[in-house]
Amino acid sequence: MKILFFLVSVLLSSYSRALAPGELIRTLPVQDGGRIKPYDSFAKETLELIYGKSNYQRQSQDGRTLKSEPAYLIVLSLILAPESWLKIPLFEVTHLDVKNKLKLSLDQKHFTGDQIFQSENFGNLMQELADQRQSKEKLTPYFQALQRLENQLFFFRELSAGRLMKMMPSQNSDQWISIAELPEKIQPYFILVSQNFAQRLGEISENTETNKKETVKAIAFDESVQKFMDVVKIEFPEKYNHMSKVDTEVLYNDLHPFRWTYVLYLLSALVMLFSWARSSAAGLDITLKASWSLALLGFLLHTAGFLFRVYLAERPPVTNMYETVVWMSWGSILFSMILEKIYKFRFILFCGMLVGTFSMVIADNAPAVLDPSIQPLEAVLRSNYWLIIHVMTICISYSAFALAWSLGNVGLVYYLSDEVKHLESIQKIATAIYRAIQIGVVFLTPGIILGGIWADYSWGRFWGWDPKETWALIALMGYIIVLHARLINWLQNFGVIVSAVMTFSLVVMAWYGVNFVLGAGLHSYGFGAGGLEYVSAVVLLQIIFVAYVSVARYFAQKNKLKI
Amino acid sequence: MQFKNKSIQKFWRFSTSFKLGIPVMVGITVLIMWGTIVESKYDAWTAGQIVYRSWMMYLVMGLLVYNLAMVMIDRLPWKKNHYPFLLVHIGIIMMIVGGWITQQFGIDGSMPIGLKSQSNLVTVSETDFVVYATFDGDRYSKIYDREVNFFKNPPTKEKPFEVLMSKDNLKITDYVPYAKASKKIIPDPNPQSGASVKIQLTNANVKQVEVLTQPSSQKAVEVNLGPLKVYLGHDYVTNGRKKSDVNEIYLQKLDSQRAVYAYFDKNSQKPYAQGKIEIGQVVPTHWMGLELRLLDYIDRAREEWEVKPSGYPTPLTTAAVFVEYKKRKEWLLLNDVVKFFDDQTAYLVSFQNRRLQLDFSVKLNEFKIDWYQGTQKAMSYSSQVTASAKEPEMEKQDVLISMNEPMKYKGYTFYQASFQQDEKSGEPTASILSVNKDPGRPVKYLGSLILTLGILWLFYQRRKRKTSV
Repeated sequence: MKILFFLVSVLLSSYSRALAPGELIRTLPVQDGGRIKPYDSFAKETLELIYGKSNYQRQSQDGRTLKSEPAYLIVLSLILAPESWLKIPLFEVTHLDVKNKLKLSLDQKHFTGDQIFQSENFGNLMQELADQRQSKEKLTPYFQALQRLENQLFFFRELSAGRLMKMMPSQNSDQWISIAELPEKIQPYFILVSQNFAQRLGEISENTETNKKETVKAIAFDESVQKFMDVVKIEFPEKYNHMSKVDTEVLYNDLHPFRWTYVLYLLSALVMLFSWARSSAAGLDITLKASWSLALLGFLLHTAGFLFRVYLAERPPVTNMYETVVWMSWGSILFSMILEKIYKFRFILFCGMLVGTFSMVIADNAPAVLDPSIQPLEAVLRSNYWLIIHVMTICISYSAFALAWSLGNVGLVYYLSDEVKHLESIQKIATAIYRAIQIGVVFLTPGIILGGIWADYSWGRFWGWDPKETWALIALMGYIIVLHARLINWLQNFGVIVSAVMTFSLVVMAWYGVNFVLGAGLHSYGFGAGGLEYVSAVVLLQIIFVAYVSVARYFAQKNKLKI
Repeated sequence: MQFKNKSIQKFWRFSTSFKLGIPVMVGITVLIMWGTIVESKYDAWTAGQIVYRSWMMYLVMGLLVYNLAMVMIDRLPWKKNHYPFLLVHIGIIMMIVGGWITQQFGIDGSMPIGLKSQSNLVTVSETDFVVYATFDGDRYSKIYDREVNFFKNPPTKEKPFEVLMSKDNLKITDYVPYAKASKKIIPDPNPQSGASVKIQLTNANVKQVEVLTQPSSQKAVEVNLGPLKVYLGHDYVTNGRKKSDVNEIYLQKLDSQRAVYAYFDKNSQKPYAQGKIEIGQVVPTHWMGLELRLLDYIDRAREEWEVKPSGYPTPLTTAAVFVEYKKRKEWLLLNDVVKFFDDQTAYLVSFQNRRLQLDFSVKLNEFKIDWYQGTQKAMSYSSQVTASAKEPEMEKQDVLISMNEPMKYKGYTFYQASFQQDEKSGEPTASILSVNKDPGRPVKYLGSLILTLGILWLFYQRRKRKTSV
């Protein structure tokens, strides 16, 4: 671990010079969401909330995207010149009902502040939300959409008033001081920053080419930011010492390791597919090696990204949906590699790559549902020890089940093409599935028990039929039934393959459904909303696919008997 | 194992086979799935009542234990390769039995303790129906106390729950598990009941309405209205002013139509204004534009709960029963009391969560919340308590209970569960500890250990055997 941090810090010392000119502001420390983060992350998360994306797509009159502008420029201009943004479609509204009530166009996603907040119905909607809160009832997706609208307005207003961005420590409390409250002594330095920013912004909007170039204005902007940081540092030598961590986070934001991860996994899977299609013995060895190397490289990046988050959040990153998806797919890759190493079936690694690609693409592209920002932990979760041994154990069991699910789907494809011809492969797949499910059970059982012990230790009861723990048990029961049914031959190869696919929906329910659909119980810190239509669609498609293959197989066998 | 009798042999085969095992496992799975849906729609308590503590649950769990045990007996005499499977089965049985012991003999309750005060009472989820009686209005004696589960056996008009009193029966004719309750003021002919007023304080900026009702004609009530304090039923002429350093208005019953008022300025001994007032009239005050209007007045009134059933629980709902005694019919909320009168006797009727008395008490010395820097998000809560028993040497001083750090004392474990805060200032006023005694714990833990070992062993064993397939 220490070696890793050493490497990271070495990387960093060279990195501060690697920032493009005019970008130093991104490393400005800001207090937000209970921690100190770089202005870069603050800007991304803020723009995400208001606009729905972490880059702003500037559009021409006819709706074409002209260029994509990074959050750090947009948010600073929101702070310094909010009035210029009121006529620009900046606020994302997606909920249909809300759009209807505000009389907004249904084919658009983004609207101007005037369109929303000056709408005659806006006040009524906010009143509706307040009433619903008063009644202490659960907020339905509609009210969650209203809540987001309220947050968007709040963030925009606070941002433009200079109250949201807290950028300097204060003498007698741990709450930092916002732009609006900067003392007279410091103020001129920030004014200098904003003047230089205005100059720089003008330069960029005139000519996009200057974006990365070392212009006089870019250098002046960086210098003013540096000056500001130096002055604050002199004022608060103790409290203003987050530089290495903040720089690391900017590096993490830039590297975006998880995006490369899925690209590599996808390539690895494609290379393998290619080798199957060609199936020439000579090329096989090389393609297999290539596939393995790509997979290993992806896995290395995956691990690095994960460790970045460990370092930044100072805890095991398995505390929300996004983080568990990342961790789960990491486990799938690991298991697929181990099983592949043992059995050399080739498609185990392939299926692992499929899980990796699938889950990392989702994790990276649905920030509204899978929130990638690093958030402070609920009080009850603040125990790294238990987080590691309970949550990580449970989630890694899901990895094995995900692998079994992926293997199952490949198996179904074999059945669809030709059962007799691929008999050997099908047999291998069933074996691999059986093994993967066993691994899952070996992790899930102690995981649930450890959860019970943690619950006993912090809530005072071992087992309370809380929905989260109950669904983990349901998933476990499902797989244990499959294992037993296989043991006594109630399930043949086809049965095992179908079960691996279908039983995974229990995991989806335990993992996603309890938090996002049921929304009840003590594990409320993980509750969220969104994505239900997609998850249900995937589960439904899965059921249709299984049903289709089963029916096709049934008729194929019937025909064979006739012959 | 073999039996000569054919049907016994058949039954034995069935008991030890997956023909029983797998349907039981499927049954448990479906049942607890349903439980989570019930919990999502209602709450954890309701799910417990309907599913997890129902006969169905006992049945499937019993069958599972039976099947697991029979399968083990069937394999007698055991060989070495049976050990892992035996461990798994024993582990599961122990965990289920441990859970049963906890449910039957364990205590799982909560203890709210106000700041700087102490408590020895643990509130549990079981409910009791209790009636106290008094003849002199001073000393109450318990005349009825029984455990009730109105959720499972709801009383109705046709089949009421009845309590035998001296002459007439007290009847409960309705039960609402999730009630939205609001207070209603109604006239009450009882000569002991006090007055009720509805007052409005208005000026250009403020518009505030308050209802004041005396619990009895002898007791005064008061309310703070910003710069002004209003009292109902306090006789300032005989008993003097309550406070002389604030602006005060005293209201008192005069007759069925009118009340008398007196308005005092801060630090003044003589009333600035006094007189009689009717509904719709105004008490003049010293400040520009500020006036106090009497919106409603009842000379003899009492408060009663008005109940609207809700289809599901929210943090604002509570259970309520409809109580009838002689001619009076009234809603009684869970953990509230209602008073009935006979010729000579007064009864206090209560529907309440059971409270267990511990033989020691816990005092809350300090309650602390740590926040994440610059936010309103709590990082940790902790209570500093002193536990003291009769034996002075058992006293434990200044123990810190925080999330993930419970206190063990005399067989009980105390956990930081939650806290209460002042509505206006947000300052914490009480800490809520969850209190727990679990005799099934060792059985469950040992079972967990055995099960885990068994599963690991099983995995290792299968690995050797199955790779050849």
